[in-house]
Amino acid sequence: MIKRRNLNKYIFLSTISKIGLHALLIIGSLFMVLPFLWMIVSSFKPNIDIISVGFKLFSPNWTLDNYRKVLSDMNIGRAYFNSIFVASVATAFTIFSASAAGFLFSKLKFWGRDALFFLVLGSVMIPPQIVLIPLYLMISKAHLVNSYPGLVIPFLINAFGVFLMRQFIYGIPNDLLEAARIDGASDWRIYFRIILPLVKPAIAVVGILTFLWAYDEFLWPLVVINNNAMMTLPLILGRYAMAEGGVVAGASMATTSLVLGPLLLIYFFFQRFFIKGISMTGMKG
Amino acid sequence: MNTLLRKRSTVSSFILAVSILILSYYIFISIWPILFNVYMSLSKTDLMTGWTFVWFKNYISLFKDPIFLKALVNNIIYLVVMVSVGIGTSLITAALIHKTSGFAKKAYLALFFLPVVTSLVAISLIWKLLYYPNVGVFASIISSVFQLNPPLFLASPKTALLSIIFMDIWKDTGLRTVILHAGMEEIPESIYDASKIDGASTLTHFFKITIPLLRPQIIFLAAVYSINALRVFTPIYMMTGNPPGGPAHSTQVLVMRMYQEAFYSTHFGKGAAIAMIVFVLLFALVILEVKSFQQKWEY
Repeated sequence: MIKRRNLNKYIFLSTISKIGLHALLIIGSLFMVLPFLWMIVSSFKPNIDIISVGFKLFSPNWTLDNYRKVLSDMNIGRAYFNSIFVASVATAFTIFSASAAGFLFSKLKFWGRDALFFLVLGSVMIPPQIVLIPLYLMISKAHLVNSYPGLVIPFLINAFGVFLMRQFIYGIPNDLLEAARIDGASDWRIYFRIILPLVKPAIAVVGILTFLWAYDEFLWPLVVINNNAMMTLPLILGRYAMAEGGVVAGASMATTSLVLGPLLLIYFFFQRFFIKGISMTGMKG
Repeated sequence: MNTLLRKRSTVSSFILAVSILILSYYIFISIWPILFNVYMSLSKTDLMTGWTFVWFKNYISLFKDPIFLKALVNNIIYLVVMVSVGIGTSLITAALIHKTSGFAKKAYLALFFLPVVTSLVAISLIWKLLYYPNVGVFASIISSVFQLNPPLFLASPKTALLSIIFMDIWKDTGLRTVILHAGMEEIPESIYDASKIDGASTLTHFFKITIPLLRPQIIFLAAVYSINALRVFTPIYMMTGNPPGGPAHSTQVLVMRMYQEAFYSTHFGKGAAIAMIVFVLLFALVILEVKSFQQKWEY
């Protein structure tokens, strides 16, 4: 009897703790999602209903005015193009540089390899923010202020991508490469025909993260861009930062919705790549 | 010459091309700029009228400047809170998610990860409105649901910096959670079973087994987030109005001071000196973290 009671108590307690567990996680998840929902809903409200006494999520005064204003006010189409173009170039270049460097550092032996790898390691300590001023001077001496090359140059190779690729390519069996080499394949051929097809998962991770970082980069464009045509999306958002929040609430939420839209859509479709890829990066540290 | 032998003794064109690419890129983008930055930090220049070598004057005047010192202290607070609270909360969420399974687990991970794949610039703007004093969403919730007097968030020098750090921690909770969770999945169940027989509680498990075994992931995250915290700029710029760093310099940080000294006040030498100070801090931190990573694990 006593045993039976204990078992019931155990089942009861574990059900309670299960409910508690899910309750906590559901609250946490809501906290992650609700700000975005609030952004989208707010973008269809007049300013007065976004910041108002007595919080209401839904407003009776739906309006498209915010979007009309944003789309007519400034050249957001051009900013979209600038942002996506610059992020795509950075991503394409990073994928190639990172995978080639990863191959170099994991499978090929040559004089000075360790020193070169140390250089890549060390570059983590010199991010573009730290050398912002000299980098800006170099770019302006080269007349690349307000240009696409000026925007993209600091983001062509990144140490994180190189590490990840090196780790990943390290796992490819040497026999496979030796076999190709005996057949007379050059390192180029091995890189394009064997390495690249085998590292697709790593390419997905490095590609997605590089795109996100480049799309979201703020300080560098703030310094090298000063004309409207070359502005990227973060710079357009940056203008709202200087205004009093309540006055531009509707317009700024409409713009953030437009900026985040593509990202949320990409995430919705490729969600499993993100989680899998990131889990992979953490393994080796 | 024997072809086989030649293949062994020469460096392939691939090796040559890729190494030269990496070497020249980093010389151009990191090494030359940092050397130039050292020289600049010892000079006084507005880039227009002249350039005089002043030795350590920039550094000396920085350490006498209360705004710079405020920025330094704020940045250290930013780093400590970001790393400790950020990793702490993510350890909890990862442990909770680790206890779930199947679809629920996948859904929680996906939802927590959502803010990670968005833009910090955009999120800062959203949170600036959420933090709106007195009538904003957070203030309304605190006063109506919890019947408390809400803080002024970004509008008060007391709470502004913490409000920004809180948002920054929120944004990447999912990223840290996914990495820590992946580490937890790697820990074999048998280790827990052994200690269960010894009568250890869940909490003891967490502190005595899970956390020590997650050491590599935790150090990795500490390194990443201390670097991120030292170079924080975007959320400060986006959330603290005109000029950024307020109210009353309560949210000043190092990179913001560097940007303002250089591009607002045209004190390029001073700006470069701040950059050197950030660099030294970064260097020390990375060395410290690499050292603790190499240490033998003991448990």
